Amino acid sequence: MAVSQLSAQDTDQLLERARAGDRGALARLISVLERGGDAAASVERGLSSRGAGGYTVGITGAPGAGKSTLVNTLLGEALADAGRVALLAVDPTSPLSRGALLGDRVRMHSHAASSQVFIRSMASRGQLGGLAVATRSARRLLEACGWPLILIETVGVGQVELDVASTTDTVVVVLNPGWGDEVQANKAGLMEVADIFVINKADKAGLQATRRDLESALASLPAERRPAIVETVASEGRGAADLWAAIASHREAITLSGELASRRQQQLRAELHGLIDARLEAELDQLFASGAADTHLEAVAAGALDMAAAGDVLLRELCRRASAAIAG
Amino acid sequence: MSTAGKRILMAKTGLDGHWRGPTVVAKALRDAGFEVIMIGMARPEEVMQASIDEDVDLVGLNIGGHVDVAVRAIGMVRESRPEVPIFVGGVVPPHAKRKLEGLGVEVYPPGSQLPDIVAAAMRLTGAA
Amino acid sequence: MNSNNGNGRVWNTASGLHLKNFYAPEDVPESHRKHVAVPPGESPFHRGAYPTGYRTKPWRIFQLSGFGKPEDENERIRFLLEQGETGFIMEHDRNTGDHCYNVDHPDVVARREDVGLTGAVMQSVRDIDICMKDLPLATSYGHAGGAVVQHAPFALAGYWTVAKQRGVDLARLPGTGQSDFFLTYLGCVTKQQIPTRDGLRFNADIMEFCDKHLPRWVPVSIAGYNGADTGLNAYQELGALFANAVEYLEEIKRRNTMSLENAARACGGVNFRASMDLFEEASKMRAARLMWQQLLERRYGITNPKVANLRIHCVTAGSRMTYQQPLNNIVRGTVMALAAALGGVQSLGVSGYDEALSIPSEHAHQMSVRIQQILQEETNIQAVTDPLGGSYYVETLTAELVERAWEFFDEIMEQGGFLASLDSGWLHERAAENQSEDFRQQESGEQVIIGVTDHKDDVSPFDVDGFMGVDDAYDVALERLHEVRRTRYEKGASQALGALESVCRDGENIMPAMMDALAAEVTLGEIGDVYRSVFGDWATPIQT
Ligand code: B12
Ligand SMILES: Nc1nc2c(ncn2[C@@H]2O[C@H](COP(=O)(O)OP(=O)(O)OP(=O)(O)O)[C@@H](O)[C@H]2O)c(=O)[nH]1
Ligand SMILES: [Mg+2]
Repeated sequence: MAVSQLSAQDTDQLLERARAGDRGALARLISVLERGGDAAASVERGLSSRGAGGYTVGITGAPGAGKSTLVNTLLGEALADAGRVALLAVDPTSPLSRGALLGDRVRMHSHAASSQVFIRSMASRGQLGGLAVATRSARRLLEACGWPLILIETVGVGQVELDVASTTDTVVVVLNPGWGDEVQANKAGLMEVADIFVINKADKAGLQATRRDLESALASLPAERRPAIVETVASEGRGAADLWAAIASHREAITLSGELASRRQQQLRAELHGLIDARLEAELDQLFASGAADTHLEAVAAGALDMAAAGDVLLRELCRRASAAIAG
Repeated sequence: MSTAGKRILMAKTGLDGHWRGPTVVAKALRDAGFEVIMIGMARPEEVMQASIDEDVDLVGLNIGGHVDVAVRAIGMVRESRPEVPIFVGGVVPPHAKRKLEGLGVEVYPPGSQLPDIVAAAMRLTGAA
Repeated sequence: MNSNNGNGRVWNTASGLHLKNFYAPEDVPESHRKHVAVPPGESPFHRGAYPTGYRTKPWRIFQLSGFGKPEDENERIRFLLEQGETGFIMEHDRNTGDHCYNVDHPDVVARREDVGLTGAVMQSVRDIDICMKDLPLATSYGHAGGAVVQHAPFALAGYWTVAKQRGVDLARLPGTGQSDFFLTYLGCVTKQQIPTRDGLRFNADIMEFCDKHLPRWVPVSIAGYNGADTGLNAYQELGALFANAVEYLEEIKRRNTMSLENAARACGGVNFRASMDLFEEASKMRAARLMWQQLLERRYGITNPKVANLRIHCVTAGSRMTYQQPLNNIVRGTVMALAAALGGVQSLGVSGYDEALSIPSEHAHQMSVRIQQILQEETNIQAVTDPLGGSYYVETLTAELVERAWEFFDEIMEQGGFLASLDSGWLHERAAENQSEDFRQQESGEQVIIGVTDHKDDVSPFDVDGFMGVDDAYDVALERLHEVRRTRYEKGASQALGALESVCRDGENIMPAMMDALAAEVTLGEIGDVYRSVFGDWATPIQT
């Protein structure tokens, strides 16, 4: 049945099957979440807040930094530890055609047919910040279905994006040799986001310089808050074990210190914020599309109404519509 | 209906590396608004697993080698996702084409024009 | 084509060079005119590599062939030789060969029906021996297989080992492998292969080894063909090919283990594509010879005429062979072969008329030989060397291609050189741009392909089904693999493999250890496993 026609009962059934281990149902539910609308909302209602069991690691970094290749090698390590791993891999949607080429899986053949690994490619569908609109809810769905470890590969983002930090428990930022200037330019953002730095493509020239730049950028942080730096050659599988060890020790440290709990609180906050944001935006688009704004726009253009006043009127209308939608 | 949010899997069943065909086709599909999930050279079971996990609306196979490898992949996809249409292209001599068409698979051999392939994808995914 | 009448149509060569309605003496660039007066066989060689051209040495008829079990391939090769082929090419199965896997590798098992589809399965020297049965090794120019860089040391060592066992003196053995970067680092990217820097090492090792032991062997043959059929246009093919040659020469220079002249000679046997733009392609072969002479003189100070004369093997563009109305391809094959012959190549393979359906059937193979024989024997084309020389058009085009090609060469150098342009995917992007442009032109009607974009009705009474192959290649290969493992002298094999591994690690020339490994019946997959553990995998820049 087409995703758009699913009733609440259908989604409940799907959820039940997905929880029982049916991957087809799980995959379908992610499509439902991606599509949004009523069916998505009903899936959301079926997902209680995060279980304590799951853990999420974010992998972010510029386009082509080697995130997917790194994930491929990391999967081996992660599987040995967690038993099962799910991955959400986000790639950009073309703003022109709204189509997308999702290519992360090409790098992930080592575990592509394993029943212990679930890989889902997601198009960003216009969302900025490195994730797709549905990435967060898909993560919660995966947790609800008992996936103990979830990796999220963000879109290759030019500068540092904060979304991944508010979605994952440990953030790995992937850099490459020769990126000293980028490190300098993004120093503040990088330090805010990264729990672990990876210098991937350590086989390339410029490794030491990048390492030095990074170390000096981090020098001002107190030692216990200083992110680990791991060197990897993902294409040859080198450094994966070190990276996995760094992830495990970060996890342990924030669990013991209680920081994990406060991070989760932050995540919930960001998620809820994001959810309302998305719904309001959809509502706002509809408001404009319905022509409700037209008379006010004309009035503004004619000088009969000022912008701020027009904004007030429309915001009131927006709130009215939004609460009607919830009641209905 | 539109192509928005429609997902197509693109896999190579052979171990040959001919990338021109699958790449131009994937780009044409992207430009028509599809989300194309590239998985490269994939074994039949990888094709099947991806067609499930990625919840695709259409499976595309580039055949670079023996048709029976593709036939096996098709069989596995059919078993797990019987409702999903499949279309293929690449090196498909007449005998292979007949075999595939007999399985209800649409075949786009060398020389197929991209607008025809895009039109097929729209039809098969219900986007047109 | 809607603009057949010429109204508003822009006439370009296939690579996009603008064409005039006709050419006059003043169109030939000043700097190029002096070359026109130089006869063939003299520097700068653009009018021909040898003074007497095809009168004394017709081009070699050289067809790619191979499938199934080694004995199937042997039979096909002997058939071709009977038909009049004047060299022979051994083709190894790409699933096993190109990847250095044995047939029991999981990636091969998963595609077992595919095994032997495009080359014979040769996992040990025993298989190679079967494939070479009764072939005229000492007298005929043989291509040992090993077109793929990581596979070449195995394929060559296998061929040489069998030749030695048959009492052929390696010092007199003619032939080539290919070891081409374009093939699997640009064109058909294998699932797994050694990084480019290690590939460069292999090729330089082969050059050194041949310099010492096989002086008549062409150790590497850069195949612009593979770049061109992946999408590079005529001047890009030229520029990239010579940028590749520079990598080899610089590596040898750095090693300082053989003379640079010998190294230049060793990579002066190259492979180009001949496609459908008749005059551009003929001009390209002439441009290539000129460029090689210029490169050697300007960059390396080499002027020795025995080194500076580029020798060309040419293959007609498979990508121009259509699936639709396949008999039309006989005409295409003829035209492309003509372009090559007019360009003065030393060796030629014509793609089969069933190229887009399968590897060549016996009949298609025979036709590829016949086309060349007809050209050689019935058209008088061999009588005069460089028949297009002095044509204002062709000379202008030749000069223009040279100029554009050097520009492209410079662009590659700016990328950090040929291998860097492969590592980064830059060259792939150039090819992909042209591919998309081709399709755009087909849609707009600017590019017409008979039977594909226009005139699609076919009334041919002949069904062309392509070649069906054999269906026991996998089973037999598996059996033979087990047999080798069971019956070889295991201690010798494992010692040889161990020695090969240390050589791989410590950087000595790989070929002597490879020869020992082949003689000790080490198998292909075992060697591949060594590569994978020592060298790792190339970081493929493209997603397919
Ligand atoms: C160009 C080419 C190459 C290039 C690489 C091009 C590339 N990067 O893709 C080079 C020269 C490097 C090359 C190398 C080899 N090649 Co090659 N190659 C060709 C050739 C001539 C054209 C292919 C091509 O690119 N066409 C243009 C593209 C756009 O067309 P296409 O791939 O057919 O795709 C179209 C349709 O098929 C369809 N389509 C394709 N995929 C899909 C997917 C879906 C879902 C859909 C709906 C449609 C669709 O849409 C496309 C647009 O029309 C073909 C013969 C031919 N004329 O078809 C041989 C051919 C494919 N090659 C072949 C072989 C054997 C090889 C080699 C092994 C030869 C060798 N020993 O060196 C090596 C491969 C090594 C390896 N490890 O794999 C054989 C395969 C035989 C078989 N399977 O039975 C062929 C058929 C030639 C032959 N007759 O021998 N090759
Ligand atoms: N030399 C080298 N290349 C690498 C390494 N890791 C990855 N690569 C190559 O870098 C390129 C990009 O790798 P991906 O894993 O696709 O990078 P990514 O960050 O996931 O890219 P996007 O998802 O497109 O942003 C590929 O060509 C890889 O093979 C490495 O350690 N060394
Ligand atoms: Mg990626």
